[in-house]
Amino acid sequence: METKSSGKFLFEPPDTAPVGSVLYTEHLKLIDQSRLAPFAGFLMPLWYSSISEEHSAVRNAAGLFDCTHMGVLEVAGPQAAEFLNTITTNDINKLNPGSAQYSYILDPAGNVLDDIIVYARQEDKFMVVVNAANEPKIKAYLDALQSENKPPIRDMRDTNTTSDCKVDIALQGPASIDILSTLTKDSEIENLKPFKLIETTIDNIDCIISRTGYTGAKLGFELFVHPQQAPLLWSKLLQNGKPLGLLPCGLGARDSLRIEAGLPLYGHELAGEFNISPFEAGYSWAVKLEKPFFIGKAVMQQTAATYDMKVTRIELPGQKGIRPIRQNDGILNNSGQCIGWVLSSAKAGEKQFALAYIMKDTVKENDPVGLYYLARNQSQIDKGKKQSVQKQQTLQPDITGTIISRFEKF
Amino acid sequence: MVPEALFYTKEHEWVKIENNTITIGITDYAQQMLGEITFVEPPEIGKEVQPHGELGIVESSKSASDIYSPMAGKVTELNSKLEATPELINQDCYEAGWICKLSITDESTEGLMNATQYQDYLKEL
Repeated sequence: METKSSGKFLFEPPDTAPVGSVLYTEHLKLIDQSRLAPFAGFLMPLWYSSISEEHSAVRNAAGLFDCTHMGVLEVAGPQAAEFLNTITTNDINKLNPGSAQYSYILDPAGNVLDDIIVYARQEDKFMVVVNAANEPKIKAYLDALQSENKPPIRDMRDTNTTSDCKVDIALQGPASIDILSTLTKDSEIENLKPFKLIETTIDNIDCIISRTGYTGAKLGFELFVHPQQAPLLWSKLLQNGKPLGLLPCGLGARDSLRIEAGLPLYGHELAGEFNISPFEAGYSWAVKLEKPFFIGKAVMQQTAATYDMKVTRIELPGQKGIRPIRQNDGILNNSGQCIGWVLSSAKAGEKQFALAYIMKDTVKENDPVGLYYLARNQSQIDKGKKQSVQKQQTLQPDITGTIISRFEKF
Repeated sequence: MVPEALFYTKEHEWVKIENNTITIGITDYAQQMLGEITFVEPPEIGKEVQPHGELGIVESSKSASDIYSPMAGKVTELNSKLEATPELINQDCYEAGWICKLSITDESTEGLMNATQYQDYLKEL
């Protein structure tokens, strides 16, 4: 049983009916209501044309994503930097205004509460983007933190506070700069380096433009706009982008793109049933153990020295007639021994990509691995297919794949 | 799209009944919900099933969906085209995308919905 002193932050999310995002009416212009699915409290589009068309649009032209469900918090004031440096694992002192930083919020027991991006707008003004599904938990956690030096924390999506409100729309893919150029002549955008941001206007709409994203695209932007102006910006981008190959993209392509690129999703490649740490996920660089203090540091020091599992990216065949791989399918080494499990999987073209959680020193890049499909229904169980597999169990592989580099950019 | 001449299950299979043979597939609603279908595991020829017995699996990259038999019968024929072109189910679920045929001894459609009833059922979902 967990006790209070264990330092684990326990949170039950509120059980409320999902609501449309601020782009809800824009989505209904493109697809039927039935194509919207509840996700993290919002009704979000799964796909508009098809997952594979949207996926290749982002790789070859551009895709537009409704990310207005993502949590956007402001931490501001003279204490803001020091506070963020205490509650996040990366080093805020290395984050200059106009730059963004990938980081983690841990609880005192070292559990990952969320992976985040911190955007420094000014020396003393930060925007923190958190996962939609974790937003209520992060807010509750920040509320619960007791500190004399706690800076004001504001929900930037809440239009009842000030006029400086922001939601996230992502424009991703090689054509994204050409699409932006049709609406703004700001030459700074063209020169924006990865993880840099500027405050500008797009066709008279105030906007934070950040060279960040969650698709693995070398060129891509997140556009932070006032919620009331989000529909206008969305429709302008769609209209101007259409001749350049832009497609609106749903949650389906968002997932397949991030899996192909090797990017983690909270609950799958981070935290989740295996309680995966940033070290195992391949992000040791974002946990600065040399910092004097951050919440969860003691446990992270132990984890860094002892972890024996890691997230890996595997390429597998995915042409028609190949059964799709699924979460928890087994990963086997050359001798058929189970070395781990699939965390997420996606199809891209004629290939499937899996992010898997495997024993750290068993295989290396370019090594072949087997994949064992778990039983998909009762008939398969009756024929002897297993419903779960354990480490070191010997199994017959159903298909063979290859370990590939942990990340890839496109 | 719900053709008049077919019967339907709550799990979104359709069934066409012709002289002791039934043809089974999944409905337009089902194929839309699954998205791009990439794999079909057909039942074995000769397999005997009761109503609601398993008749294989239709899988998209996002989810796997069991196919249940709308009626009792014995599998006599499979749509072999689905092995190489499972997307036929997305393209033409009521014709080219049929999944299997069964021989039946009892033509009773008890427990199945006609087209009007199925359309009403879809409205409630």
